[in-house]
Amino acid sequence: MSAGFSQLKALVIKEFKEAFRDKRAMMVAFSMSLLAPVMIMVMSKTMIKEMVDKPPVYAEFVGAEYAPKLVKDLADENILPLAEAEESDLRIWQERGITITIPETYGQDMIEGKIINVVLNADYSDKPSLAPIRRIKDVVRDHARAIGYKRLIMRGVDVRILQPLNLVEQDRAQPSSNAMMISIMLGLYLLMGAFMSGLSIAIDSSAGERERNVLEMLLCQPVSTTKIVLAKLSCSASISILSIILMLVVTSISIGFVDLSKIGATFSIDLYMFVALLGLLIPICILAAALQLFFSFQAKSFKEAQSTVTMLIMLPAFVPFILMFIDDRPMWLDWLPVAGQSIIMEDLFKGLTINWSAFAFTSVTTVALSAVLVMTLAQKLKSEKVVMALS
Amino acid sequence: MWKLKRKVVCSALLASGLLTSSMMTSAEQTSSISSQSNLSIENCHVDGIKEQIKCGTLTVPENYQLPAGQQIDLHFTVLPAIDNSNNKIPLMFLAGGPGQAATELAAMLRNRFYEVRKTHDIILVDQRGTGQSSQLKCDDEAFTAQSVYESLTFDFEVSEVQDCIADFTQDLSQYNSENAIRDFDAVRGALGHDKINVYGGSYGTRAALIYMRMFPESLNSVVLDSVAPLDMRIGLFGQSGARSYELLLSNCQAEESCQKAFPNLDQDYQKVFAELVAKPVELSIPHPRLGTATKLIIDADKFVSTIQQQLYSLTGRSMMPLVINQAAQGNFMPFVGVLAQADEKQPRGSVYTNLLMNIACNEDFPLIAEQDWQADASNQFARNISHRGVRLVCPLWPKYRPEASFYEPVNSDIPTLILSGNLDPVTPPENGERADQMLANSRHIVAEHLSHIVAVNDCGVGLVAKFIDELDLEGLDASCLAELPAETFMTSLNGNT
Repeated sequence: MSAGFSQLKALVIKEFKEAFRDKRAMMVAFSMSLLAPVMIMVMSKTMIKEMVDKPPVYAEFVGAEYAPKLVKDLADENILPLAEAEESDLRIWQERGITITIPETYGQDMIEGKIINVVLNADYSDKPSLAPIRRIKDVVRDHARAIGYKRLIMRGVDVRILQPLNLVEQDRAQPSSNAMMISIMLGLYLLMGAFMSGLSIAIDSSAGERERNVLEMLLCQPVSTTKIVLAKLSCSASISILSIILMLVVTSISIGFVDLSKIGATFSIDLYMFVALLGLLIPICILAAALQLFFSFQAKSFKEAQSTVTMLIMLPAFVPFILMFIDDRPMWLDWLPVAGQSIIMEDLFKGLTINWSAFAFTSVTTVALSAVLVMTLAQKLKSEKVVMALS
Repeated sequence: MWKLKRKVVCSALLASGLLTSSMMTSAEQTSSISSQSNLSIENCHVDGIKEQIKCGTLTVPENYQLPAGQQIDLHFTVLPAIDNSNNKIPLMFLAGGPGQAATELAAMLRNRFYEVRKTHDIILVDQRGTGQSSQLKCDDEAFTAQSVYESLTFDFEVSEVQDCIADFTQDLSQYNSENAIRDFDAVRGALGHDKINVYGGSYGTRAALIYMRMFPESLNSVVLDSVAPLDMRIGLFGQSGARSYELLLSNCQAEESCQKAFPNLDQDYQKVFAELVAKPVELSIPHPRLGTATKLIIDADKFVSTIQQQLYSLTGRSMMPLVINQAAQGNFMPFVGVLAQADEKQPRGSVYTNLLMNIACNEDFPLIAEQDWQADASNQFARNISHRGVRLVCPLWPKYRPEASFYEPVNSDIPTLILSGNLDPVTPPENGERADQMLANSRHIVAEHLSHIVAVNDCGVGLVAKFIDELDLEGLDASCLAELPAETFMTSLNGNT
């Protein structure tokens, strides 16, 4: 027993040494965990900026003098004449060329109650211009609506008749569940991290070793193929787990740099969430490593392993995407590997209570599936056809 | 009918305190909650807020001298802070009136007090006698009988008032300002907060001042927005209304288009006033909502009290020159459009007039001498019109009297931010000035171009949020208030440029 364990230990150490020797593979493994939090931070910051902050928009006004109140309303929303732009911004805004034209007859038409055409001229296909265009449209619409309401009041009309229906919205979600954008992104990144981080290590330790003829040497030793597979599995899975932990830590720090309260949201990873997420993701890391080893051993060359595994591995990572589009989720999805974890993660982010039996069951199925893969693979490695890639 | 009249009476009387905003977030202190059997709290939905907030009830004695006697249920809501990871000392919102139910302002406060709500729970308690806290109710069937268009302020019978009073099941003497504060502090304690910040608007500032005197150790900071100090008498709004009206006139004259459109605005007003005093106008109009033929009666009281009500907000003010000018030319339709806004039984956030009367008639009315009434009536705007309601109703109202010490100025060194809007028709900046002189640790900021309640404005709310976060009165940068543009006016029936 102790001899068996020391054999396994030696194998595991060997796998880790090899893994760490390949610096580039390690970089790939951990790049995800560092990049994802940064991407979440940058994306949230950009989105919040567009949604809430009102960075200045510069437009060329033609006939601004005819509608001072409208121009003031625009200025209140930080939509300013081009002439007020800073030297550094001027060129960008000149290129965007947003023009607002107010007709000379504005004042007279207003008093006469005629429809006044205010012209907004811009390149609607220019993506950076879309937010400014939306803001200009909003201001003009609100300004016009306010005048319309007052016109009705001045004619003795109860303006409430303009609102025949009032939709009272009631959201039963927990108050803490409002950082949906971040929860969805983080959930996706975590699953992908679990799947992708150990990828190159798994391929290298299987198809790679075969190409370097290390595998043959290894199989000549008096150790069971199960131990060999287990050692490779623990190396690749531990690297993914490390990568996930790193991602969670970096995310909880980096998200502090985003003022989510601006969009009425809040997000933090507390200890409970950290542990629960890890509990969900560790079985997935194991399953991913098992899958990767399984398929790259089947491939004839390193290159083939790379392409097959990458392709196959993307499939489970898409599970959460697919789940988003299923409106009526059948109950059994809760119990499946990956799907189950993905659903529980969603609940966790929403602040709902976790269905612990589903938690336990998916973890068990996931680990069991990995065990089946490991055993099958160990069996296969006993055949020369697989080892020499002759099939 | 009396109920409707009360409404008109009260708008004539007070133009209804602070109608502006109340929003509150609730900080849920679960630990302290379970131990209190007289407190219940649950997730709930309120009108105008999509997400769940906390609603609760706290049972307190009607008479604090008799803790085992009659009990009443106080209703409150809590708007939880957005950033629940960063719970700071919550803010309690004290509503205006007297008689506004704070919880009815939740949706408005949720939007307006955004900056505060980021990191602070906001606690809203219905003052006893309002909303869902043992509301002072009387039979109001008669209300539906007559419309705001036909009814006049003073065609009600004394017996109608007496019938209404006879309907109350509560001990009216317990529905006073001091007991309201005992209630608020009880809610604070029940929610497990050692200290709270308090924001009072309009009558809420008087409540806040009483709070500072009764439970200073409960308060971290105080914001007084549009101050009604204890030496001010609710009911005497003749002079302050006239001041606000004169500012309307001078601001219109200062704006070129307004000056051009209405060169004789005051003459227009005085002409309409004199004509309506001589003979009320009777017209047939299309009903503002139904479109059917409707009788409209306007007398001077109705005209003036409706305009006075509009002086509270910048939107209302922007339409008044045109309304006055058109009325002078015999077109009362703009006036009708404005009047139509009052055609609702008990709009959310409006004043519960029975509580208003109960407090104003007992805490203020007895202290007003005949010469005070006369001095207040000597003005060129509402004259004594805003007095008539209280002077008719108060003698009929059941009596309780606060101790003499109730009226003494409040001394306190709790950090206090005092805000005033220069255009305010009921709580002019001099009120804020007086409060500032009494308080040891306060700063008074006047918003030149705002009317009643400064925290209706983003900049004003920003100041409140910054103050309760940092408690740095001297360092508070109020420049955004100074940069607000002067009020502008509508100069034609279709609007203007």
